[in-house]
Amino acid sequence: MDIQVIYNTPYYIPLGIFIATYFYLTGISAGSFVISAVTVLGGKKEYKSIGKIGSILAPVSLLIAPIFLLIDLEQPMRFWHLYIYLQMTSPITYGTFLLSAYPLNGVLYAWALFANKEKTAKILGITGIPLAICTHGYTGFILALGKGRPLWSTALMPTLFIVSAMVSGIALVILIASFNNFFFTKRKDVEKAEQEKKLILNLGKFMGATIVADLFLILNDILVLLTSKTEEYHVAQLLLFGEFKFLFLGIEIFLGSIVPLFVVFFPKTGQTLRGNVFASLLVMIGVFAMRLTVVYAGQSVPLH
Amino acid sequence: MKNNKRYAMLIDLRKCVGCHTCSVACKAENSFPVGVFASWVKIIEKGKFPHVSRSFLPLSCNNCEKPICLTNCPVKATWKREDGIVMIDQHRCIGCKYCIASCPYDARFVNPLKKYVQKCTFCHHRVDVGLVPACVETCIGRARIFGDINDPNSLISQTISTNPVNVIKPEMGTEPRVFYVGLDLDAADPIKVWKVLED
Repeated sequence: MDIQVIYNTPYYIPLGIFIATYFYLTGISAGSFVISAVTVLGGKKEYKSIGKIGSILAPVSLLIAPIFLLIDLEQPMRFWHLYIYLQMTSPITYGTFLLSAYPLNGVLYAWALFANKEKTAKILGITGIPLAICTHGYTGFILALGKGRPLWSTALMPTLFIVSAMVSGIALVILIASFNNFFFTKRKDVEKAEQEKKLILNLGKFMGATIVADLFLILNDILVLLTSKTEEYHVAQLLLFGEFKFLFLGIEIFLGSIVPLFVVFFPKTGQTLRGNVFASLLVMIGVFAMRLTVVYAGQSVPLH
Repeated sequence: MKNNKRYAMLIDLRKCVGCHTCSVACKAENSFPVGVFASWVKIIEKGKFPHVSRSFLPLSCNNCEKPICLTNCPVKATWKREDGIVMIDQHRCIGCKYCIASCPYDARFVNPLKKYVQKCTFCHHRVDVGLVPACVETCIGRARIFGDINDPNSLISQTISTNPVNVIKPEMGTEPRVFYVGLDLDAADPIKVWKVLED
């Protein structure tokens, strides 16, 4: 059947790169906080340097993130409306309080860690882990509750976001820890540097495991999209063969997941600091590509 | 006393000629700036000559019974009147655009001059003084009917009960309150036409 559109109004994409960047930064924050808290709660002395790096990264990236949300608002001066006019069915409303409580907890946690207050750090770590997961999980809910968009409205979205947050958070911790190790610790104390290096390599393996989980979730998502309703099918086509194939298959899946996975688990490259740094860099790029793909491809299917 | 009214609109596509008068009247009445539309007419052509047809589909906010924009608005700027019209409080809207992203009908837009979200509100300022919305008033084919669907004696109730009616995307569960008579499946399907455009 020949069908042609003679007239239609323009089609806008309301959420753009600022929102994608915001998702990326909260993801890094949540991932690095969880890694930091786990190493501190684990209690081993040699893990402490990693814990400190994570504890700095988490609040810093989460203090930058809301700036992107703010400049994305059409009325930035009205942001305080979020605190007084509450709509409890909206994920943005509970996100507002998470976004306020979580950085506060993160700053206190970092302070406790650097001031060597072991007990306080552990308590704040325990309260911080659910806060970190919720802070990033709610951004997944923002998309999942956008029921008009076929790519977003899936129950998998919050989980997918949390897992990719772990991936990117660990990657950034590896990057900073390797930098610290290569330029500072190695010059001061060779033995300590060796110990730290072992830890970083282990983190690399852990990152590999989270990448596998992430890939599994993406596979689930795509398979269900392909066999679901018409709109879902077309958005999957868009990702696999359409305008997002380069960003999704090329950068997110191949460069951002499969190559780092190979580098991390291949003995020759996985046992070196350089290999892990390379893999982490690719992962950071891949996760940003994932945020861009989800935000843009989700809004690229016309609604009228 | 509780207001038992439930305003709705019915568009009889057998009478629509695709003249865009509703779009123009809407813009004039509500002073929406250039480039944004609260009411518009999508036009498609299908078939091979000589078996061809042209279908018109006037679209706007459906003022749903269960609006997802209301659920998702974080500051309660979107609210529903007792008579069912979905409103936006222009002084409260922060412009997060989440409602636009979640609306399945793409009925909302950011006013580029005033910087808050707007949409069709069935011309609530006219309805409040006993007039019908501007698009209904100006429709040259009298294809649009506006009224209270809770009143069995209203023209809209009678037309709905005696004609096969449809709404756009009923699967969304939003219970739209803009009804169509003679809705064309191809005109209502954005994906089908979009794929054709791609080829």
